[in-house]
Amino acid sequence: MDDEEFWGNDPKALQNTEWEKISNDFTNAGYREGITAGKEGALQEGFDDGFASVGAPLGRDLGILRGLSSALLAFLSRAPGPPSIATDPRVAEVRAIATELSNVRLSDIAPPDLQALAHAREHLDGEGRDRDARMDDEDDVTDPAELNEALKAKRDMESLEDLMAQMGGVIEGAGADARLKPARPTAEDVARLKERLLAIARELGLGIAVQWS
Amino acid sequence: MDFDLEDLVNVEQTFYEDGYKDGFAHGRIHGLIEGRALGREKGFEMWEELGFYEGFALMWKAILDAQGAQDERAQNHIRHLLELIQQFPRVNPSTAVAENEAAGSSSELDIPRLFRQIRSRYKVFCAALGIRPTLRAADNSSSSPDREAMHDDLSGTDMEPTPSSTDRVKPERRKVWALHNPRADNVQGGGTELNF
Repeated sequence: MDDEEFWGNDPKALQNTEWEKISNDFTNAGYREGITAGKEGALQEGFDDGFASVGAPLGRDLGILRGLSSALLAFLSRAPGPPSIATDPRVAEVRAIATELSNVRLSDIAPPDLQALAHAREHLDGEGRDRDARMDDEDDVTDPAELNEALKAKRDMESLEDLMAQMGGVIEGAGADARLKPARPTAEDVARLKERLLAIARELGLGIAVQWS
Repeated sequence: MDFDLEDLVNVEQTFYEDGYKDGFAHGRIHGLIEGRALGREKGFEMWEELGFYEGFALMWKAILDAQGAQDERAQNHIRHLLELIQQFPRVNPSTAVAENEAAGSSSELDIPRLFRQIRSRYKVFCAALGIRPTLRAADNSSSSPDREAMHDDLSGTDMEPTPSSTDRVKPERRKVWALHNPRADNVQGGGTELNF
């Protein structure tokens, strides 16, 4: 409605805007309080879910792989025996596997949070546009580092590690490619490392009884 | 006139409650997402370390078995280490402890103590093998020789809650942290290590 109409002698219109203002003010106030309460009430539930369904099983399996390779490497490299042992290609192979495993991070192998993806899509679709107006800060919920200071600090540290690794690569005289962001390992890479490691163990006649998560 | 005023108050209340309900549902989604991100991180951190000890023990067990070695001592270390790890909950330990207590279970679940036992059992085992323990376990022994410090290790200053939004939610949030349960602070001095 234009000003003319708005300020015209229509008390009804004025009443309606008053009414809308009251409605909005109180609804918004309730919404803000509700958001805080709802969020706090759900944090623990989310934490327990993330711990049990993703963090613990992924961490355990990766930890086991690291433990297996660490023990095998220690065994192979200290084994007294013919000199051929020292030059056993398997030592280098296990060492390479251990090194690659040590480079893996949770963010490399964690599945995406489906609820976060779905919720981000909702925001994009504008379904929650009027709700967003009531949110003080709307972070990218699909990026863990945007959710929490501690997680952000961790990601910053990892970025620094990446940077230093890159610099190391450049010093070693690698070409322009080294300046590109190095590819992060994936869950598939970890699965391949696992196969390689277990194959070596089999070759050596070692029967490992792991109950994977 | 009186009637009108009261009506208006009720209407304000209704608006507020409608808004609260919608906000609560929306906030809940955000709480779940943030909590899940934190829980993934903590669960990964704890179990990556425990898994390392587990894999380490399993590989040595396989090696000793393959060699047909009659090393009772080493086998003993391995068995104990695996048993201890087996006892460690795969869910958020704070919740596991709370549920354990709620169920009135007689078997006490003392997470910081269990973690200490696992670490020291691993280190003793390494010593028996003549192998240097991983840096992680070595760090823990040098920087935190006593129980209290070890407990601090677990609750992790690195994962101290740093609320993303506001400070006012801090007290409530503390309980999110895996090992910030009051019982954990009371366990120092209880029992000696490795007395299973």
